[in-house]
Amino acid sequence: MEITFTPEEERFRARAREWIEANKPTDPPIENDLKARRDFDLAWQNKMYEAGWAGISWPKEYGGRGASLMEQLIWYEEFASAGAHEPSTLFVGLNHGGPTLIACGSEAQKSFHLPRILRGETVWCQGFSEPGAGSDLGGLSTRAVLDGDDLVVTGQKIWTSFANIAEFQELLVRTDPDAPKHKGISWVICPMDAKGIDIRPIRTMAGHQDFCEVFYDEVRIPRANVVGQINDGWRVAMSTLSFERGTAFLSEQVRLTRMVGELIELAKQTPLGGAAASAGDRTKRTIDDSDIGRRLAQMRAEVEALRAMTYRSVSRTARTGVPSSEASLIRIFFSELQQRVHALAMEILGPQILEWDADEQPITTALGTKRRRIRETWVFRWLLSFASTIAAGSKDIQRNIIGERVLGLPR
Amino acid sequence: MDLMLSADQEAIQASVRSFLDDELPMARVREIAQGGAKALSPLWRAAGALGFFGLAVPEAAGGAGYAITEEMVLFEELGRVLAPGPWLGSVLAAHALATAGNPHADLARIVAGEQQVAIVDATSAASSIVVRGNEVSGESGYVADGDADTAFLVVAPSAILYVASGSGAQVERRPSMDPTRAIAVVRFAGVRGAVIAEGSDAVAALLRRATLLSCAEAVGGIQRTVDMSVEYGKVRKQFDKPIGSFQAVKHRCADMAVRAEVARSATTYAIVSVRDGTADQDFQVSVAKILASGAYVQNAADNVQNHGGMGFTWECDAHLFVKRARSFEAAFGSRLARLDQLAESFRGA
Ligand SMILES: Cc1cc2nc3c(=O)[nH]c(=O)nc-3n(C[C@H](O)[C@H](O)[C@H](O)COP(=O)(O)OP(=O)(O)OC[C@H]3O[C@@H](n4cnc5c(N)ncnc54)[C@H](O)[C@@H]3O)c2cc1C
Repeated sequence: MEITFTPEEERFRARAREWIEANKPTDPPIENDLKARRDFDLAWQNKMYEAGWAGISWPKEYGGRGASLMEQLIWYEEFASAGAHEPSTLFVGLNHGGPTLIACGSEAQKSFHLPRILRGETVWCQGFSEPGAGSDLGGLSTRAVLDGDDLVVTGQKIWTSFANIAEFQELLVRTDPDAPKHKGISWVICPMDAKGIDIRPIRTMAGHQDFCEVFYDEVRIPRANVVGQINDGWRVAMSTLSFERGTAFLSEQVRLTRMVGELIELAKQTPLGGAAASAGDRTKRTIDDSDIGRRLAQMRAEVEALRAMTYRSVSRTARTGVPSSEASLIRIFFSELQQRVHALAMEILGPQILEWDADEQPITTALGTKRRRIRETWVFRWLLSFASTIAAGSKDIQRNIIGERVLGLPR
Repeated sequence: MDLMLSADQEAIQASVRSFLDDELPMARVREIAQGGAKALSPLWRAAGALGFFGLAVPEAAGGAGYAITEEMVLFEELGRVLAPGPWLGSVLAAHALATAGNPHADLARIVAGEQQVAIVDATSAASSIVVRGNEVSGESGYVADGDADTAFLVVAPSAILYVASGSGAQVERRPSMDPTRAIAVVRFAGVRGAVIAEGSDAVAALLRRATLLSCAEAVGGIQRTVDMSVEYGKVRKQFDKPIGSFQAVKHRCADMAVRAEVARSATTYAIVSVRDGTADQDFQVSVAKILASGAYVQNAADNVQNHGGMGFTWECDAHLFVKRARSFEAAFGSRLARLDQLAESFRGA
């Protein structure tokens, strides 16, 4: 049992830290300017690519870094500790679409798409969810009919993050309406500029426009864009999971640890009752309140335990070579903790959170130093945190997975 | 970096588990738990013969030469079955005596399982014990599994002493809310012991070990509550279905599993930190105690709930974990005390 890294791994850490520190971009664009975010993320990705840091977990033969599991862990830790900008508009391509092609794509699909994703030339989005198929993804009904060398797609997707700035989409369609639910689905690469696609942004509760509805009206997609076999799309979609070895979420965990640190700072700087409290209360800081102090201490302990939990999960994966089922345990613990952290921020800030303009969005998720900006950013982050128990499998679905697949309870 | 068990550790785990499966089925635990040192002595000798008390004792002193990481494995197994008796005091005393400058004559007997040792935490607020040189005076707080025949490892703010059995300590057994862990109050009136170590550093080191091994024991109990609930969820039927198929029960079990993994991870990480003497070891110990304590209390309660009316009976084992969770929580710095300590550290800087 060891909590330290080998000298070689430490050298890797030093190299990673040095490069990130020297090259991380400053001044990311505001959250609501998607076009600017796209350009910014692609440029940053390209910089990582040129320096040999792109696709940290991707195999070398596909242009990735082919880093060991421990190196991946170290890279993500360093990346987040440095406060380096997360190229979040590229998440689907790098962590989902690309890995799926690596696992199931044809040679032509791989040689066309993988270098473009890695070099920071294309943005991908994920067209899985539909109005009628969310948690029950297998119930999707967007249909695709074979017509010559094309699939002709008609239907609707929803909650598609970054659909309006993406070149490609991983699209799940029903190709056999008569087969059992999970058997008649195909996984298709959909070019977002194809004729018949209509994209409408949806405003989130945080005021910004991260996701969209996408309508397909007889959209023709070459049959050659099907990944894996026709009607084998469910298996293709699931294969991505075995590629993702539980390190990609590490950055957000490290960021959460930083946020708890920021929250402690906030409680030191905020008078009890918030800035809008009467002058008489201002002598006592929020951090001096015993209830707030204990809750902050609990959270500090919890983010530390979260890291230990991830280390254990990565250790297990390193031993067995297969992703550990503990990932869903970590997911639940992380997402709910993240929500508690942000809810506590609202209590610490007090009534001053009430003044917040959803239309005025000079907001990025980085805190900055100005008092007003700090307050606005916490409010924005708090609103964002509501998504963390919904997106990518709601917390209820995660609990089903733990109950049934980890604990073996009956369905 | 690797937080999984090594091959040696897995072997220790298998050996302890098979021993406990044979020697300590739950009925036997209930029978001997309040019987004192005499009732425990056959178990103690058998465990001694297998080397369980000397895992971290150097080979030259008759032990296996392992570290706290291997003791962790032992304690987790003990916790799974709610093993009664002063395991913690005995294991800590063997290690402390073996690593002190001049070995005590009792060391070999403790390692062999011929002498039980209870731990007296004289740093706790409930203790009025004062140590002068090698003399101990005053009254202890609750001492787990202390009995007339046990020796005592007295941990005072600036010294650690070994008080051999029959040295004149007065042991008054008290009724224990936790049926698998006896308690006593011990009075010392100028009782002489052997000074094992002096200075607050040595005391802090021993208390870290004590806290973490008790956390490891808790992790075993926490895991057991998950196993019991899952097992019952599969066999108990209502509305023509196993109750584990109902989401209310299934999700409660999922949450129990999350807490178990959190507690286990924090404890394992802290134990390796202490073995390595990292700069943040005290913080890691608090993290482990805070999370193990919260997890044990909540999992034990959920386990009662999952067992329905049966869970509320004395006969069902579920309540034993509820009670053990509290005796674990109360020893070596409660969750609240540690939270306050942490919060205070934020305020200063
Ligand atoms: C910020 C954000 C970004 C997203 N980005 C994308 C994207 O890029 N691409 C994409 O395809 N999708 C995306 N999604 C969609 C996401 O995957 C779905 O929202 C999610 O799977 C839940 O589906 P739903 O919204 O239809 O909710 P529903 O499935 O209708 O769930 C509603 C409620 O019922 C509960 N529930 C449902 N079924 C069960 C059950 N069996 N047991 C217990 N409770 C149940 C859920 O937990 C939830 O609380 C995104 C979502 C969010 C919030």
